[in-house]
Amino acid sequence: MENIYKNIIEALIFSSDEPLTNAEIIKAIKGIDGEDAEITAEDISSAIDLLNQEFESSGRAVKIIKIAGGYLFATREEFAKYIGYLSSEKTKRRLSQAALETLAIIAYKQPITKPELESIRGVNSDYILATLLDKKLITISGRAETIGRPLLYTTTEEFLKYFGLNSLSDLPKPREIEEIMQDEDFIEQKNKIMMNAVEETLENETENEENPDETE
Amino acid sequence: MYKIRLEHFEGPLDLLLFFIKRDEINIYDIPISKITKEFLEYVNYIRMLDLETAGEFILMASTLMHIKVRMLLPREIDEKGEEIDPRADLVRALLEYKRYKEVSEELSFLESNQRKISFRGNFSADPIEHPNEYGILLKNITVYDIAKAFRKVIEGIKPEPVHQIRKINITIEEQINFIIGKIEEYTNLHFLTLVHGMKEKIRVVITFIAILELVKMQRIGLRESSNFNDFVIYKLDNGKHL
Repeated sequence: MENIYKNIIEALIFSSDEPLTNAEIIKAIKGIDGEDAEITAEDISSAIDLLNQEFESSGRAVKIIKIAGGYLFATREEFAKYIGYLSSEKTKRRLSQAALETLAIIAYKQPITKPELESIRGVNSDYILATLLDKKLITISGRAETIGRPLLYTTTEEFLKYFGLNSLSDLPKPREIEEIMQDEDFIEQKNKIMMNAVEETLENETENEENPDETE
Repeated sequence: MYKIRLEHFEGPLDLLLFFIKRDEINIYDIPISKITKEFLEYVNYIRMLDLETAGEFILMASTLMHIKVRMLLPREIDEKGEEIDPRADLVRALLEYKRYKEVSEELSFLESNQRKISFRGNFSADPIEHPNEYGILLKNITVYDIAKAFRKVIEGIKPEPVHQIRKINITIEEQINFIIGKIEEYTNLHFLTLVHGMKEKIRVVITFIAILELVKMQRIGLRESSNFNDFVIYKLDNGKHL
C-alpha cells in the first residue's frame, strides 16, 4: 500500500538539523491533519525504507539514517572527501586512544564517578574528562550519594551521533572475561598492536637480561 | 634503553597487558618477578621524561613488588579454606581494563565510519574565522571615536588617595603641666591663645581634655570671654579665686 505520509515525513526530516523522533513526526502530522490521522511508528519506519529505496535506485547522494533515537538526512560515504574539503568540522582530529577508552568505560558503566573510572583505567583522567565534556560527548548527570558526593558522568546524544548509534543498546558488547581468556587472539594480538621494530628492540633487551630462575 | 613511544601505553595496566601479550603469558599465572623487573626498567626510563605520568607507573611498580613479596610468604586462606592468590586482584583489574580496551577499538572503527557521513547543518558547526561584516561590529564609529573615549577614561583615572598616619606622642598629663606652666605665667589665659600654633588636631583635643581635667581638679576656672567662640582660663588655688 502506498504510504500517504511518505513525502511529509521526508520534508520533516529534511528540515531538521537534529535527529527527528517518531513522536515529533506523529505530533506534526496529527497537529495538522487531525487526531484521527492514522500514523504509527511502523508507518514511519516503512515510509523511510521506501524513501531510502528510492534514493538508492535513483542514485541520490543522500539517505535517511536512524541515529540517536531519531531520523536524520545524511550524505553517502563516498562524498566524504569533497565535503571534508569545505568543512573543517569533519577534518578535526580523531579521538585519542585514551579518550576512546574513557568513553567505552563511561558508556557501559554510566553513571560513573571519576574515582571508579580511574580505578579501571589505572591512570588520572582529569584532562580526558575535561576534553570529553568540552566535546559534549559526556555530561555531568548528578552526584553520587557516597562520601564526598562525587560527580557522575554519562554519555550524551552527541556521543550516539558521533559513533552513528541509534541507542546505547547498539553499543558493541564487551566480551565476558572468560571469553577473553579462551580467545587465542588474546595472545596473537600483539603483532597487530606493536610495531615490529619496537618489539625487536624489547625482545633483544630482555633476552640479554633474562634470568630463567627468576620466573616463579 | 627501550625505544618505546610513550603514547603506546595509556597507563600501567596497558603496559602490563603489553608484556603479557608479548611474552604469551597466561594471565592467571603471571611471573611476577620477571614482570616487575621489566616494569621497573620502563618506569626508570619514563621517570626521566614525565614525572607526573611516572607517578602512576611507580604506584603499579610498588603494587607489583608487594605482590612479589606476598608470593614468597605462605598463602593466606579465605573463608572457604582456599588459598588466596596474591595476584588475583591484579588479574581482575587487568581483565576489566582489557574488556574496555577492546570496546574502544570497536568505537574507533565506528568513529572512522561515521566520519565519512555528514548531516544537515554540518557547515553551521564550523567556526566562523573571519567575520567580514564590519557594519555589524562597528556601527557608525571611527577609530578616532574609540581613541577619544579611551583617552577620556585614561585621563579620568584619579590617583588613589594615600593617607599617612603619623603618631603624635602627647598625653593629657603633659598638657596639664603645659597649661599650669602657662597659667602661672599669665594668670588669665584665652583658650585660643593657648592652642594657637598647635598644628595637629589631636594636640588641641588633648589640651581641651587637660583643661576639663584641671577644672575637675579645681586647679583652674573658666569664664566667658569677650570674644565669641573663646573662653578665659584663670588660676584657682584649691578652688578659691585668687
